[in-house]
Amino acid sequence: MSTALHWATLAAYVFGGLVSMGYLFKQRHGLYRMGLALLWVGFGLHSAALAAAWISSGVLPAANLRQSLDLFSWAIMGAALVINLRLEMKIMGAVAGPLCALMLLAASVLPKVEGVTSSAFKSLWIVLHVLSIMAGYGLLALTFLGGVLYLVQDHALRAKKLGPAFQRLPSLGRLDSLSHTSLVAGFLLMTIGLITGAVYAQITLGSYWRWDPKEVWALITWLLYAALLHTRLVQGWRGRRGAWLALIAFAALVFTFLGAGLLFPSYHSFASLAGFGGTTP
Amino acid sequence: MKLVLVGLSHKSAPLKVRECLAPPPEAVGGELERCAALPGVREAFLVSTCNRVEALAVMDEDADPGEVARWLAHGRGVAAEEIAPHLYTHQDTDAVRHLYRVASSLDSLVVGEPQILGQIKEAYRTAAMAGTSRAVLNRLLHKTFQVAKRVRSETNIGGAAVSISFAAVELAKKIFDSLEGLAVMVVGAGEMAELALEHLVGQGAGRVLVANRTLERAVELARPFGGEALELKDMPKLLGQVDIVIASTGSMLPVITLEMARSALKKRRGRPLFFIDIAVPRDVEPAVGELDGCYLYDIDDLSSVVEAGKASRAEAAGEAESIVAQEVVKFMAWLKGLEAVPTISALSAKAEGIRAAELSRTLKDLGISDPEQAAALDRLTLALVKKLIHDPIMFVKHASHDKSEDTRREQLALVRRIFNIEENGDS
Repeated sequence: MSTALHWATLAAYVFGGLVSMGYLFKQRHGLYRMGLALLWVGFGLHSAALAAAWISSGVLPAANLRQSLDLFSWAIMGAALVINLRLEMKIMGAVAGPLCALMLLAASVLPKVEGVTSSAFKSLWIVLHVLSIMAGYGLLALTFLGGVLYLVQDHALRAKKLGPAFQRLPSLGRLDSLSHTSLVAGFLLMTIGLITGAVYAQITLGSYWRWDPKEVWALITWLLYAALLHTRLVQGWRGRRGAWLALIAFAALVFTFLGAGLLFPSYHSFASLAGFGGTTP
Repeated sequence: MKLVLVGLSHKSAPLKVRECLAPPPEAVGGELERCAALPGVREAFLVSTCNRVEALAVMDEDADPGEVARWLAHGRGVAAEEIAPHLYTHQDTDAVRHLYRVASSLDSLVVGEPQILGQIKEAYRTAAMAGTSRAVLNRLLHKTFQVAKRVRSETNIGGAAVSISFAAVELAKKIFDSLEGLAVMVVGAGEMAELALEHLVGQGAGRVLVANRTLERAVELARPFGGEALELKDMPKLLGQVDIVIASTGSMLPVITLEMARSALKKRRGRPLFFIDIAVPRDVEPAVGELDGCYLYDIDDLSSVVEAGKASRAEAAGEAESIVAQEVVKFMAWLKGLEAVPTISALSAKAEGIRAAELSRTLKDLGISDPEQAAALDRLTLALVKKLIHDPIMFVKHASHDKSEDTRREQLALVRRIFNIEENGDS
């Protein structure tokens, strides 16, 4: 059941992304609406697939890289679609569709790791920890996208090259709003995720913080985003400097998500998550 | 029935001829009624703008299009011979194509300018009020509005800047998203700055400040916009409070220095600042454009934006022409179908007349008084007649879609002769 839903989601993201790209080239409003509708359908299927996986295994499907990528892709698409309701950004589908489709495709080729059924994974705290961290990551991925597009548009305006990219990209003001909204909400969720994670660690492992490599990297990432938020709100770093800092912070985030999970032996690593029973770190 | 369009535009006539021909707006309704009363004219419509005066009429096949031309010139205090060389006349397909092109602003002085569609809508309202726009023109004008909308939404015809002021507005929108509530400062009081300011305010810019060497001129320029006037020496202090600066002084040295821009940016706490420098020599130090958060466009930059805009509109115009061509074909097919309507209704009326007369005679002869029997005979005759005239009606409909006008007319005439239906549709 969930495999069929997975492929249906992938198909909807691929077609939604392609139709949205078609809109960028042809500038037909109908294509934009159709692309967006396909992505919403895809997001619905994706949510159903995750819910089915959750119900069938009894634990939150975030126990290995395959599942985590799947969840991350869901979070990015959800954040993109929800934020787009407020800040209509016609380029969003053409960026989020292919990105999430690629992440899902990568998840599909990764080996299936079975067997996380420990009751420790059924705690409300870990559910809150994983979901808020993932939702935060999804939003912060949009901060990153906003930063990249801001730099491209800023470059076009400065170089006075007002070609098709300039015409189709949103205004600097709107990209700045995207970065701002997603940063504030993403940072808040990431903070909640870290706190709930610490509480969970205290309950299951007996200490709030164990200086595990993933925890260290998560702290570095959190500090970078705190700096980004601070410079933006207090010092008014909005333009290029803010966009560059958003790029650096996102690089740290990706490393926390992938690198710290794959490279270092720790109880957070994807390899040991599969056998994580909550008693041995 | 034929469509006739007579008129002149900026392409065919100088301004002094165009202004002679344009009737005062309040007189258009009366003029249209007069036109519709001309021999052979069934419906009439008139659009009159500063760039064109055009009349569109639905006329009988044998009517003289010259009637419309003479009506257009009548009572305008100018000799018909003087106007004649500037007038163009289009019929049927050409008339529809011309109207579609005008409404889509493909025939405008500035291709893609949106005002013309509003003017045609207004002209249509006048014709509808005067009762001179009926079945054919109602349909044609509604189609025209749809075609113009299609052109606007499916091509980039209005999307690129073709004037300095438009370029400034477009750039400002790409920086700030919306101009709503933005503060604009004009430094110097040139005519071009005034035009750019007008455009920005028209798009929603709020606070206006005018800084000039002489305060009197600053006050004069600021007044119509409800703006504040200030002396040039006070300008640097207020630079941090505005979002857009239009500089156009006659100064030989830059009046806005890197230092001024830097200190303004500090006060703006990261909000961008857009400089439009239309002065020659330049008013803003070029290094200002390097600052993070500052966007500087001088007159050459703006001119190249305008040139690129013109090229982009020319490309869009090509796409628009093919939309117009498709829509003309569709409308002409409808119009041709309309020509068959009188023949079809006359044929049906004649058949029904014969049936009713014969039925009533038969009922009387046979002395049938039972309503059920009468109803059965009624059904029988109705079915017979319907089946008999179905094929001729299909033939007429098909004939009306024939591409060649001569063949179409011949076939319609043939049907009328076979069934003895007269030219005006009566049998």
